[in-house]
Amino acid sequence: MASQHRRIKRTLAATAAVAALAILTACSSAGTGSAANDSKYGFTTAKQDSKSAITVWVDAAREPLAKAFVAANPDTPIKIQTYDGNAGGSDSFKTKMALFDQSGSGWPDVVFSTQTNDTSWAAKSANGTQAFAAPLNKGLFPASFLNGFTAGAESPMTVNGTVYGLRNDLAPVVLWYNKKLLDQFGYTAPTTWQEYEALSDKLAADHPGYILGSVGDAFTGTYVYYWGAQAPIFQLKGNTFSSDFTDKHTTAMTDLIDHMLANKTLVQDSLFSADFVKKYASKLVAIPGPAWYAGALFQNAQSLNNPAGEIGAANPLYWDGDAKVTGNVGGGVWYASSHSANYAAVKKFLTFVISSPDAAKLASGLPAYSSTADTWLTAQTSSGYFTGDFKGAISTAASSVWKGWGFPSFSPETAYAKVVVPGLAAGKTIADLSPAWQAEMKNEAQVQGYTVK
Amino acid sequence: MSATELRTPAVSGFAPGRWIGRVTAFLIAGVFVLFFVIPILWLLLAGTKTDRQLLLGNPFSFGSLGTIVDNWNALAGFQQGVIWTWLGNSAVYSIAALAITLVVSIPAGYALALTDFRLRRPLLIVTLVVMLIPNTALVLPVFLEVSSVHLVGTPLAVILPFSFFPFGVYLTFIYFSTSVSRDLLDAARIDGAGELRVFAQVAMPLAVPVIALVGFFNFTSNWNNYFLPFVMEPGPKSPVQVGLAELLSNVALFNPTSAGSVTIQLPVLALATLVSVAPVLVIFLFSQRFLVSGMTAGGTKE
Amino acid sequence: MGYAFSSGYGLLLVLFGVLPTLYAIYLAFTKNGAFAGLENFTHVFADYRFLPAVEHVALYLFIWLILLVVVVVILALIVHGLRRRWLSASVRFLYYIPGALAGASSVMLWLFVLDPEVSPVSGILRGLGLSSFVQTVSVQNLPVVFTVIAFWTGAGGWIVIMYGALNNISLEVMEAARIDGAGPIKTAWFIQIPLLRKWISYMGIMSLAAGTQLFVEPRVLSQASRGVVPPDYSLNQLAYLYAFNQGDFNGSAAISLVLLVVALGLAAFFVFRGGLFERD
Repeated sequence: MASQHRRIKRTLAATAAVAALAILTACSSAGTGSAANDSKYGFTTAKQDSKSAITVWVDAAREPLAKAFVAANPDTPIKIQTYDGNAGGSDSFKTKMALFDQSGSGWPDVVFSTQTNDTSWAAKSANGTQAFAAPLNKGLFPASFLNGFTAGAESPMTVNGTVYGLRNDLAPVVLWYNKKLLDQFGYTAPTTWQEYEALSDKLAADHPGYILGSVGDAFTGTYVYYWGAQAPIFQLKGNTFSSDFTDKHTTAMTDLIDHMLANKTLVQDSLFSADFVKKYASKLVAIPGPAWYAGALFQNAQSLNNPAGEIGAANPLYWDGDAKVTGNVGGGVWYASSHSANYAAVKKFLTFVISSPDAAKLASGLPAYSSTADTWLTAQTSSGYFTGDFKGAISTAASSVWKGWGFPSFSPETAYAKVVVPGLAAGKTIADLSPAWQAEMKNEAQVQGYTVK
Repeated sequence: MSATELRTPAVSGFAPGRWIGRVTAFLIAGVFVLFFVIPILWLLLAGTKTDRQLLLGNPFSFGSLGTIVDNWNALAGFQQGVIWTWLGNSAVYSIAALAITLVVSIPAGYALALTDFRLRRPLLIVTLVVMLIPNTALVLPVFLEVSSVHLVGTPLAVILPFSFFPFGVYLTFIYFSTSVSRDLLDAARIDGAGELRVFAQVAMPLAVPVIALVGFFNFTSNWNNYFLPFVMEPGPKSPVQVGLAELLSNVALFNPTSAGSVTIQLPVLALATLVSVAPVLVIFLFSQRFLVSGMTAGGTKE
Repeated sequence: MGYAFSSGYGLLLVLFGVLPTLYAIYLAFTKNGAFAGLENFTHVFADYRFLPAVEHVALYLFIWLILLVVVVVILALIVHGLRRRWLSASVRFLYYIPGALAGASSVMLWLFVLDPEVSPVSGILRGLGLSSFVQTVSVQNLPVVFTVIAFWTGAGGWIVIMYGALNNISLEVMEAARIDGAGPIKTAWFIQIPLLRKWISYMGIMSLAAGTQLFVEPRVLSQASRGVVPPDYSLNQLAYLYAFNQGDFNGSAAISLVLLVVALGLAAFFVFRGGLFERD
């Protein structure tokens, strides 16, 4: 990566010379930061100016929070720009930063990304252009503040002990269930994957047409089922990527999904497709899924729109006799630029969006900061919409996310969407598709410069 | 303009073979009318419906006027009316580039077709070659160039590249070389007109149709360009096409991570699509006659 | 005088056509600023995504060009033959109005049309055995899908242009053919189509250029299908990934250059067969 950046810089300079155009010889004075840390923040900073306006990139969903900051801090010079939030596969964050690296200016000061794996590239320091993400625990934020995050929330953004981003929200997987349907059928909510599979046979036999989930979205197949099953198919150790489809966790999950697809208790419709709402709004008995299903699926007039008191969250499913861990589906991250000219404002803004009362009030999913999360969970519980121990289940899940999965610079969703989703639609089983799926992930890893085992 | 009536030869009798041929021709034409029209019709109606009506109702039913207002409010309310900013940006970029394009392309096409100079043929060939270069292939080098003069993020960063329109020059060249005779210009020269006057007073009046054509193609392609502005103009400087993709990422169906927070409903997205092309659509509605007569003018130029 | 008239264009041509192209060539043959021979090319060719992308684009171009040329010429002849003027004008108008939607907008609209859940023609889609959006946009259907989208937005404009060119054919020629007893099909084959040759070549070149550039359509479809349409479907997407995802501008330039050479080769065919450089 480092040599590539250097090469680009050099080729740019060379071409400018070749072109011999006066306009092209204009300066390309990118932050030619040396490796030496000449600032109190642990990296080379630009000249600071507390009057300089900071530019903040947020997605549409985070805009109200940014606006709330402006309302609360009218004196802080700030410009808010919305972008697509780096949404699934758009890669706009990385693309734009690569372009700014080339032009040597224009970086935003703070960026919100809906993806969790941006640290893989944003923290990579390069000769010629400094890595975009600023180290946050080397003087910028005190340990007392950073320790306030839920345990493990910061690990995707931590490289060799240096923290490069602040987690906005967590998306641990719990088991959502429809209490009314369970009671009506005389079932109890499953607590293990084995019980889940057994329930599917019973449900298919007694009440055909009712379902226990969907694998039609790339994020459910990967993060909910395989991550939650501790399947080591997406692992990163140092610079080595590995994907093991022969591990017993992997094969057990593949069997479970194929079995439940066959008995039709797992469907292939995307959860957010109109068909899913049309067909299954009243037929979803239980579904493992992230915390944000709360607002996205159940308490959403445009989606399933269940009445209050019907839906509950239970502890995540695990393998009987194995560690009680779960998967995680996304969770946004705030990054500070290492090129900012006003860290006072950056720090003020980030502190606000992570830990202010407004952050809890405007959060759409489980906040990653403990105190903010408490406030949010209490508010959710007191609304009385969810039945059972909502707060307990979510909190348990948040602290038991399996640490086996890696965060390389590509997403496991890509290969699943490319190979598994269309394959299932064409009538194949996951067992049939596994070799192609594994090959696709390994190929991707190789292209991204990882050693593949 | 009696040409059109004269053109079609009178059909002699009702020979069965000819009759079948004509029915087939009508059928083919008709099927393609449906193919071209149905999506447009659907798009016009989609904005009048609620999400539910869109999914469950008859695709060609009309929702209600009230729903249009609701959908419109949802669209205009998205990020405090950013849709207006996007449309304004598109207008500025497209119109400015259009003006420059016309000023530089028409004389160039004229020169290539009807004057002789040593670089004529090289210029023509380079034009054709550059016209064939995938424009996304040049986006990156153009970006580096523009960024080295610190223009990224300014309107000029898209206006200048948009103004480079070899297709327009080529169209002008083809038009002049097929539809305007050199004799006509030579006659004017013999009458003592200078080169500028020949161009302004003889060629330009004949070129009105091709000016319209070039202007039209340039404007539409500027308005609809996605990749270059995506790279050059971040955030609120985006034109509406880039904005559309941002809207797409706020539809739960296409980006589940946004679900439960801010969501754009499908009819709102359909309405946004319609709004994003409205200016071009209006130009299309009113320019067709003109464009066709422009294309056919060559046939009746005497 | 020719120089004066073409100077403004010439300047833009150098700035935004020639210079960036030379820069792309320079990038493609260098690595770390030093001459690298064909290294970038061999590296790109060995990429597991390269061959599939080539196949995708080639297949799409094949289907798209043939369909375009055949259907546009037939429709232009039919419309030109319509005797009622208002009918001919209305039909042309209806053919060409979708041209207003190009780029992201047309893909956005086709997202709806291709999704059996909301499609106005869901009956046809289901009749073809496509009951979900994922099935409609599966990789083997994509060349046809892109052809349909491109044809829908682009064909009308070409029909209008062909129609105009048909009007340019002198009445005497047509009249002579009629007196010789040639029917509409014979007239079309022996008189009209040969006279359209230049315009057909022209359409071929422009469509080829547009076809190799396949980018916005698969990109937006990829975003909308959340990856079922892979982000590396077309060559241009691959070049884009190289540049912005892998930071390998040299590899990106190499792909662009390959695309360029192929497009030029095919274009040369049209230029020589179509007599585009003849001045008449």
